[in-house]
Amino acid sequence: MARIRSAVILAIAGLALALPALSQNRPKTLHDSGDPTLTLTPPLRGAAVAPPGSAAPNADPHNFEGVWWLQGYEYMLGPEPGVPPPLKPEYMKVLERRIRAKNAGTPEADASTQCFPHGMPRVMESPYPIEIVQTPGRLTILHEVAHNIRRIWLNRDHPKDVPLTFLGDSVGHWEGDTLVVDTVGLNDRTFIDDEGSSHSTQEHVIERFKKTEGGAKLDLVITVEDPVTLEHPYSYHRTYAWRPDVRPQEYICEENNRNAPVNGVTVAK
Amino acid sequence: MSGAVRALIAAALACAMGSAAAATPDLTGVWINDKPVDMLKAADGGAPPLKPEAKAIYDQHRATAARGDRSFDGVPRCLPPGLPRLMLMKQPFEILQREKTVYFVYQINRLPRRIYMNESLPQDPDPLYLGYSVAHWDGNALVIDTVGFNDSTLLDNAGLPHSDALHLTERYELAPDGAHLRAHFTIDDPMTFTKTWTARAEFVRKPGYELREDVCAARLATPAKP
Repeated sequence: MARIRSAVILAIAGLALALPALSQNRPKTLHDSGDPTLTLTPPLRGAAVAPPGSAAPNADPHNFEGVWWLQGYEYMLGPEPGVPPPLKPEYMKVLERRIRAKNAGTPEADASTQCFPHGMPRVMESPYPIEIVQTPGRLTILHEVAHNIRRIWLNRDHPKDVPLTFLGDSVGHWEGDTLVVDTVGLNDRTFIDDEGSSHSTQEHVIERFKKTEGGAKLDLVITVEDPVTLEHPYSYHRTYAWRPDVRPQEYICEENNRNAPVNGVTVAK
Repeated sequence: MSGAVRALIAAALACAMGSAAAATPDLTGVWINDKPVDMLKAADGGAPPLKPEAKAIYDQHRATAARGDRSFDGVPRCLPPGLPRLMLMKQPFEILQREKTVYFVYQINRLPRRIYMNESLPQDPDPLYLGYSVAHWDGNALVIDTVGFNDSTLLDNAGLPHSDALHLTERYELAPDGAHLRAHFTIDDPMTFTKTWTARAEFVRKPGYELREDVCAARLATPAKP
């Protein structure tokens, strides 16, 4: 099923390429330089909203339960589409290196290609659906992509010595109808985004989730701080659509992980 | 019957139904199998009723495993262990029980199961590692029916095979102490077994335990130092 959905997403990607309006007025190359070796991957158009006749969204602004699907998909997660994160010069050079490698057909392996979790904030930028489950004191986000899972603990602090993990330690609280989620404890084996913006273990991500349009949409403002790789914190805005018609599918990245050893020996070339 | 009597009966019925709903146990929390088994046995202690050709595969798996060769098994390559094998390992998992869906989320490689309440099984399910699950409450027991397994997984660590015709029924009953969960696994796979058979397992609550981020592929990439 994951394969079927991949085919659908590729078809959507094809549509996105065929829709110049989507990529109008946004840089097609890094720094809008016109340098073809720094060509940015165009966005995906993204999933549709729920079809007519779908179950009505839950009107409770504090109830996020259900399946949501990101509207559009950006390969680079800067403050604006086509604009890179405010990386320090040495990390901007790393991003340029990765974009050039990608355009040369020899991309650098990132976490997701090795079936590791996608890291933050990148895991929230998925062309696959996510499912939110709310139990007392907890929000759980089950991502279809690579069975990523985030546990957001409500009304508590991060542990003192937070272990470094791919998706970090997340705590949340309500500010009115906005759920504010604070994440630290991220290892540096992932990138901020699909193009390859770097973050360090000092990365700090703040997410503000709020239901809009009577619950048909979930707005997300993400703020990224990283004193090691970023000149200054920055924020960007994304929207998910309520999709009661969608059931997340089994997605087993490991099925195609040819680097996995058999009896301790890597057989793939 | 007067309107007032009807209203009274309706109220009494609603009350009875309400109390029945309230009696549904809440399985939400973290659980672990403290008595894991490598070789699944029937509840009476007997060997699984394998057909001769399936027994030959099982014996071959055990013989190659004894030589240290587990190439028949996807788990060392981070593929999902399948069912009921996932439930036979000493691995914590959490149940998130909601009205329409019950989630089983395993610590091992963060695998999720979604179990849809009060729905029918699909007629032509896709072949999956963890199958397609529906469930209902039978009194205090959560009964999960799962079909749509691919035939690449094993029923236990020892290498007990199954076909894609496997229909697994799991029955979970919360013990009166609320801290133990008793399970019966009924295995219906006419391609592999001479008859339907049932195995047992028990889980204990791990109050206060929080599932850790376990990334199998990262474990393989950076093996622990000896």
